[in-house]
Amino acid sequence: MTKLTALILGVAAWAAVAGLAVVIAFNMGNKNQVLMFLPILVGVVVAWGIGEVVTERVFNDNDNKEGV
Amino acid sequence: MAFLGRAFEKRELHDPGAVRAVFSNTWLAPLWLVARVYLGYQWILAGSHKVWGDQRWIGVDGPDGLGLKAFWDRAIAIPAQGSPAIKYDWYRTFLKYMDDNAWYHWFSWVIAVGEMTVGVLLIVGAFTGLAALVGATMNFNFMLAGSASTNPVLFILAILILLGWKVSGWIGVDRWLLPVLGTPWEPGRAVAALTHNGEGRAAPGLTPRRGPA
Repeated sequence: MTKLTALILGVAAWAAVAGLAVVIAFNMGNKNQVLMFLPILVGVVVAWGIGEVVTERVFNDNDNKEGV
Repeated sequence: MAFLGRAFEKRELHDPGAVRAVFSNTWLAPLWLVARVYLGYQWILAGSHKVWGDQRWIGVDGPDGLGLKAFWDRAIAIPAQGSPAIKYDWYRTFLKYMDDNAWYHWFSWVIAVGEMTVGVLLIVGAFTGLAALVGATMNFNFMLAGSASTNPVLFILAILILLGWKVSGWIGVDRWLLPVLGTPWEPGRAVAALTHNGEGRAAPGLTPRRGPA
């Protein structure tokens, strides 16, 4: 259950980044590409952080327990 | 003929450390992230104009793809004076064939959806190398059709990302996707598990080791 939750959280984070990028591009266009670019960049880093800190840790912990 | 045998005997040449540091080492992943997100945003922007707004190519009242037809008509036209937009006759013949057979109805969907998909995949860093390859192919075709615009810059960027395919998606979904799926020449955990009676292991070439190789 913990694994599933962590996996869903990781996938949802990346789906949110994709959605954010599309929403920004559709609504803001190329008015100020630097301002449009930064939130997406931050979103990618946050999603990667969730994957690295939460999902990866849960999967590694479970794999280590199963290995023991 | 012996000299031909000597000249082409099997020798493996290695890339210098600097090339491997840029294209195969995760330490430059933040730089690849910036390049990737910039390129992805450009593709989503380009795609958004084709699926949304007054000038869109698809989902319009009436037949789809008239915007693409107008682009093709401009590209294949040979002006009375000056040089034509397309330099290669074989490419003009190719576009004219598609234009004459009304392929623009469905091809406009391929381009519009393709641009959006490439943009999203580059931004989230999933199948980054493949997305960059498809993007570069679209840039190349736009340039062959005589449309310079931002295509040369985006093409060079896509080629660089393609060369760094192993690490350009490291701060992205490829960080987890590549070891699981692997490549056709090095199956990952999921594919190996299916093909080797459940004894799956991560693709070793795509599982990073500490420090330079």
